[in-house]
Amino acid sequence: MDVLKLGSYTFSSRLILGTGKFSNSRVMLEAVRASGAQLVTVALRRFNRQQAEDDLFGPLSSIEGITLMPNTSGASTAAEAVRAAHIARELSGSPFIKVEIHPNPQHLMPDPIETFEAARILAKEGFLVMPYIAADPVLAKRLEEVGCASVMPLGSAIGSGQGLATSEMLNIIIRESTIPVIVDAGLRSPSEAAHAMEMGCEAVLVNSAVAAAGNPPVMAEAFAEAVAAGRKAFMAGLMEKSGSAVATSPLTFLGTY
Amino acid sequence: MSQRITIALNGEEQPLPPDSSVGDLLSILGSDGKSVAVVVNDAIIRPENRSTHQLQQGDRVELLIFAGGG
Repeated sequence: MDVLKLGSYTFSSRLILGTGKFSNSRVMLEAVRASGAQLVTVALRRFNRQQAEDDLFGPLSSIEGITLMPNTSGASTAAEAVRAAHIARELSGSPFIKVEIHPNPQHLMPDPIETFEAARILAKEGFLVMPYIAADPVLAKRLEEVGCASVMPLGSAIGSGQGLATSEMLNIIIRESTIPVIVDAGLRSPSEAAHAMEMGCEAVLVNSAVAAAGNPPVMAEAFAEAVAAGRKAFMAGLMEKSGSAVATSPLTFLGTY
Repeated sequence: MSQRITIALNGEEQPLPPDSSVGDLLSILGSDGKSVAVVVNDAIIRPENRSTHQLQQGDRVELLIFAGGG
């Protein structure tokens, strides 16, 4: 069976869903169910007595087959990300950690140096480290070498909906990588997710594309179908491109070529 | 009755009765503590130690939960 392998974990779904930016938690939970996602990201936030109902741990844990992947959003240094990872593991009991260190709220580009350092430390400690990175083949290789479970290069800026702007670099990362490559960030449409899968990505992570859709649960389902179709196409093997036309029908019946 | 203590709870001052434990603090806040991570002066306090871990004047306490995020 074709499954996504991350550490000793296997997943039949190759769609990872983020839980931010939904209009409310009911819609978010519906979207998670509709997506069939088995790996779902969450963020750490300070407890607030007035907003106790915002806590997602209980509702998400009640969905069967869900593994949580907390992120380190809010951290701007490796030390902060490591600290967030420890707290998140305490809460989730999950070994997965999405290392996400973006110091500049204007563009949210990940800091490669702090990300590398946090990933190195956390992988050594036994976490299944999923670093969110720019589409940089050299950094991706270095992260593989220090024991990350995957690399998660961005398709374009977080929440931008600009799609696979980095596809040239993604192709290099996919070709060179021996760990799963998961496109994270920037996707807007299911066709882009299918494209990423056809390129050979092992999974895609979407959040805004679903959360900001007109109907998030239906969009979640559309992404699930697109990811499955793209994976199927990749496994089937796409035809070679040709510089010129290649006939699919015989040309000798009436014509006089 | 002895003086109340003050801790820094998620960066804000919080008065507490003396000899309050982490578990007492959670009760005061109306939390069952099940889905809350507790960090006191940068050390994680595990659920099994919350009823015995006493808070001191000036302790920095952080309570964290999971919220939506990508």
